[in-house]
Amino acid sequence: MSAVVVDTVTKVFNQGRPDEVVALADVGLTVADGEFVSLIGPSGCGKSTLLRLIADLIAPTAGSVTVAQKTAGEARKQQAYGIAFQQAGLFEWRTVLRNVELPLELRGMSRARRRSRAEEMLELVGLAEFAGHYPAQLSGGMQQRVAIARALAVQPPLLLMDEPFGALDEMTRERLQSELLAICAKTGTSTVFVTHSISEAVFLSNRVVVMSARPGRITEAVTVDLPVRDDSVRQSERYFACVTAVRRALRGGNVSTPRTEEGVEV
Amino acid sequence: MRRVLFALAGVAIFVALWEGYKVVGNPDGTVLFGVRVLPRADDLSMPHLWTVLQRLGRPELTGGRPVWIVVLQACAFTLGITAVGFLAGTVFGLLLAVLMQQFRIVERGLLPYVILSQTVPLVALAPLIAGWSGGLSFGPYPWADWMTVSVIAAYLAFFPVAVGMLRGLQSPAASGVELMRSFAAGWWRTLVKLRLPSALPYLFPALRLAGAAAVVGAVVGEISTGTRGGIGRLIIEYSREATSDPAKVYTAMLGAALLGLIVAAAVSLLELPLMRHRRRVEVVTL
Repeated sequence: MSAVVVDTVTKVFNQGRPDEVVALADVGLTVADGEFVSLIGPSGCGKSTLLRLIADLIAPTAGSVTVAQKTAGEARKQQAYGIAFQQAGLFEWRTVLRNVELPLELRGMSRARRRSRAEEMLELVGLAEFAGHYPAQLSGGMQQRVAIARALAVQPPLLLMDEPFGALDEMTRERLQSELLAICAKTGTSTVFVTHSISEAVFLSNRVVVMSARPGRITEAVTVDLPVRDDSVRQSERYFACVTAVRRALRGGNVSTPRTEEGVEV
Repeated sequence: MRRVLFALAGVAIFVALWEGYKVVGNPDGTVLFGVRVLPRADDLSMPHLWTVLQRLGRPELTGGRPVWIVVLQACAFTLGITAVGFLAGTVFGLLLAVLMQQFRIVERGLLPYVILSQTVPLVALAPLIAGWSGGLSFGPYPWADWMTVSVIAAYLAFFPVAVGMLRGLQSPAASGVELMRSFAAGWWRTLVKLRLPSALPYLFPALRLAGAAAVVGAVVGEISTGTRGGIGRLIIEYSREATSDPAKVYTAMLGAALLGLIVAAAVSLLELPLMRHRRRVEVVTL
């Protein structure tokens, strides 16, 4: 069973116009159930576009996207995935709790049930005591945790994240990475995670998919097999080896990387 | 409390400026190279403020009702017309804004005309509306003069609402719209859950403008249609007596100002409960 199947998808923006851009060319990607896959690549490589295609926020020009054995469109209508963006995008006029309730509200869940579910989700991201606060009262990291709770509220089998920690400082970022892994392990959610950061991709993922720009395509997939995922692993040989492999792939496989760079801080 | 003090300070400054100018200003006005650059400061053009207030207490005509009662009654009459026009204009403006937000083509086709509509001189419009609507009737109720005035008020009021609300409906970030789409929310639920709440901070300033415009529309509309009983008519009647009783016309103007205040207060009353969570709040850092 696979959570996501992207089959030879091409996406062209502004087709037939002078400002035509081929964002993705013949991209194929399969995400297994429970797998954590990161998309990494330079700006303009189409990683966010690929995520939006999976989310059915935009339609592919050619090819097909299947999410949980359904077309991407059906999956979206059934709320078969949760999504989080770089900006938390909380609704400032709603309390934290009501923000998390929003997707449940749109599903038509009863008031009592969505309330208890939202409280459960806030518990999961460690913000239970802030249920009554408004988003403007929270720091950036806390807002992003609320956004994750909101994405998880419908208990979707798939979580899509577009640089969710991109706007956060390094310390907050690392703490949220660990929290996210714990949540994914607990809920068994498959995840597609777009990021700029090599270290973030390696730490979080079972597989890091490396993309290149103009036209956007997948150049390599690096399997990351870390024994455990805690802060100690960030210092391990295995971790650095994976980081190097991803970096090498990002620079274009055949360019040789200087030996000295291995094990260097990222 | 502070706001009350500020409001009182504003009134005091106005009084000081008015009476101060009367003290230092040339009674015949200041004329430079044949152009009058400062108004006359004599009692005929600028009566003392206490004269105006005294005038409010004295009868309109010898043996008649006191002026303040007449002015208040006229205010109440015009307030009704203004309210109907304000409401109709707001509803129309909101509908237009929603339409323009939803259909780009409507926005591009309609917005220039919405702006153009405000350049038509009101005075020219009043007889047209009266003429077109003369034969209309709502069931047993035939078209009344005051309805023409309300239409004119609505005509002025819809504009700021339509433009302000359009801005507001377009204000949510793309990520918010995408989020609603990811929740499988359609057009209506995106409107209700995202666009309308996002538009509120844009709506209230627009409503204030619309309220003021509705008052102006009602007063001017009364004058140009010759509708009796309202503050517009009163201003015209009293200004005819300006040479013999200069304070009288200012009492009617006070009435018009009062109308504007009432409408602004009504908008604020609506705003308070809806915007109470938008105030600046302290950030919790964790």
